Amino acid sequence: MQDSEHFARPSNKLGFSARFAGWVIRHVQQGIGSLGDLWRTPFTSVMTILVLGISLTLPATLHLFVKNAKTVTEQWNSASEITLFLKLSVSDKSAQQLVQRLSLYPDIASVKYVSAEQALAEFKVLSGFGDALEYLDDNPLPATVLVTPTQRASQAEAAGDLLLKLEQEREVEQGKLDLEWLTRLQAMAELIEDIVIGLALLLCLSVVLIIGNTIRLAILNQKDAIAIMKLVGATDAFIQRPFLYAGIWYGILGGLVACLCVYVLGTYLSYALENLTHLYHSNFKLEGLTSSEILLLILSAIILGFSGSYISVRKHIKTIEPTAD
Amino acid sequence: MIRFDNVSKVYPGGFVALKDVSFQVESGEMAFLTGHSGAGKSTLLKLMCLMEKATSGTVELNNTDLSKIKYNNIPYARRNIGMIFQNHNLLMDRTVFDNVALPLIIEGCSLKETRKRVEAALEKVHLQNKLKYYPNMLSGGEQQRVGIARALVNKPPILLADEPTGNLDPKLSLDIIKLFEEFNDLGVTVLIATHDLGLIARMKYRTLTLKQGKMITDGLIEGLHSKGKQDAR
Repeated sequence: MQDSEHFARPSNKLGFSARFAGWVIRHVQQGIGSLGDLWRTPFTSVMTILVLGISLTLPATLHLFVKNAKTVTEQWNSASEITLFLKLSVSDKSAQQLVQRLSLYPDIASVKYVSAEQALAEFKVLSGFGDALEYLDDNPLPATVLVTPTQRASQAEAAGDLLLKLEQEREVEQGKLDLEWLTRLQAMAELIEDIVIGLALLLCLSVVLIIGNTIRLAILNQKDAIAIMKLVGATDAFIQRPFLYAGIWYGILGGLVACLCVYVLGTYLSYALENLTHLYHSNFKLEGLTSSEILLLILSAIILGFSGSYISVRKHIKTIEPTAD
Repeated sequence: MIRFDNVSKVYPGGFVALKDVSFQVESGEMAFLTGHSGAGKSTLLKLMCLMEKATSGTVELNNTDLSKIKYNNIPYARRNIGMIFQNHNLLMDRTVFDNVALPLIIEGCSLKETRKRVEAALEKVHLQNKLKYYPNMLSGGEQQRVGIARALVNKPPILLADEPTGNLDPKLSLDIIKLFEEFNDLGVTVLIATHDLGLIARMKYRTLTLKQGKMITDGLIEGLHSKGKQDAR
């Protein structure tokens, strides 16, 4: 026997560049051809693309809301203040020294001193007990210092640390930061984010299964053609390629549908949200998907489409064998 | 070169399709394979096309033991065999050109080379004017010729035909066999499986006869060929 594998080896008569050019041309041909196959089965293709698009719309829209909610809570965080109630024995002069010291803290953006007299005057105006307060012998209110942390120190944990530090100052009787609502808000935001991730994973799985099933049906539909191709020497890779490209096309088109749906939903809801936030004197505007998020969405759809079709072709194409009948 | 050495094939369930079959067809030789339905002709061809594996014995094509070819190399092995079927096995949703070009596209031929070779193959089977036709627009004989063009377009050293004239009238059958003779003259090894004894009688080629999976004759069948000559007169 001369060379046992001679009969089974691919021809290497062409040079590398010619073979590479041929390989690229075949990929382009099969890629475009698979788009033509989708075009020839419009009902199935449109249904699959819509299912993929709508499945991706849900997590993408939820992501949009979480992103906007985060922006809003960040604004609230940065507006939060720490109130330091000074000891009644602290004189105005000592209080001013404290204010100067606090201004040097790197985590503090601004400091405002409210004397006991100013506090009482404000309380009279705001409380509506102005006349009753006239009967008090002494001013019961302490002087206060309003501290606004920097952006970096305004997060719940950092602000809590700053409060503990400020309470160590000898002039301070008590410090107050309403951390609870901030912590709750952040916990809720994290919970919603986790739900979005869980939901997105489930929907991605369903997208992979839907595309896998669509490709499986396409393979079974072309069972005879696949058998003939194998008979004339087509490798599994050659036969798989159009189906893999079909998965990629489903991904691209489904991703574009998802982007469109997110845009339409965002536009529709932004009017209602702006009306609502306007009542709270806020200039809130719903922020849409950024270009990198759009790219990520389409890329994710492509990966899902490719994965679905890859799983299907790996399982089914190997099982189809030519018959002489 | 085709070589069978004590080849047996037993299908699941115990049906013995071939039993200790041994023969050799030299490179550039043309031969017929005959026998009644169920004699084992198709099984023998399936073994050569790697559609089935022999239960025992050795099948060699061009000095390669087919049982040693790995799954991933089977497609490359099949590219060296031109296969023609009674039912043509054409892709009905593709044109004549696309059907004939398929083996070249699979091999990665350039577009220019593919066009040149497809046109030459179709010219050889006299279908050069039907490049853009779909198979269902052609007669049975024309479809068979498309199948032959596809089997030969990548110039395989071996041509196997399973009942290639099964659905054709005697004149068309003879035309098809003459085509095979032309390719054989170019050095292609040809093995034609048929139960058409009239056709075999008209041709003077070595004939392998199978009966219930066993090779019962190998060579020129004298009585049959003299009968063929009388029929021809």
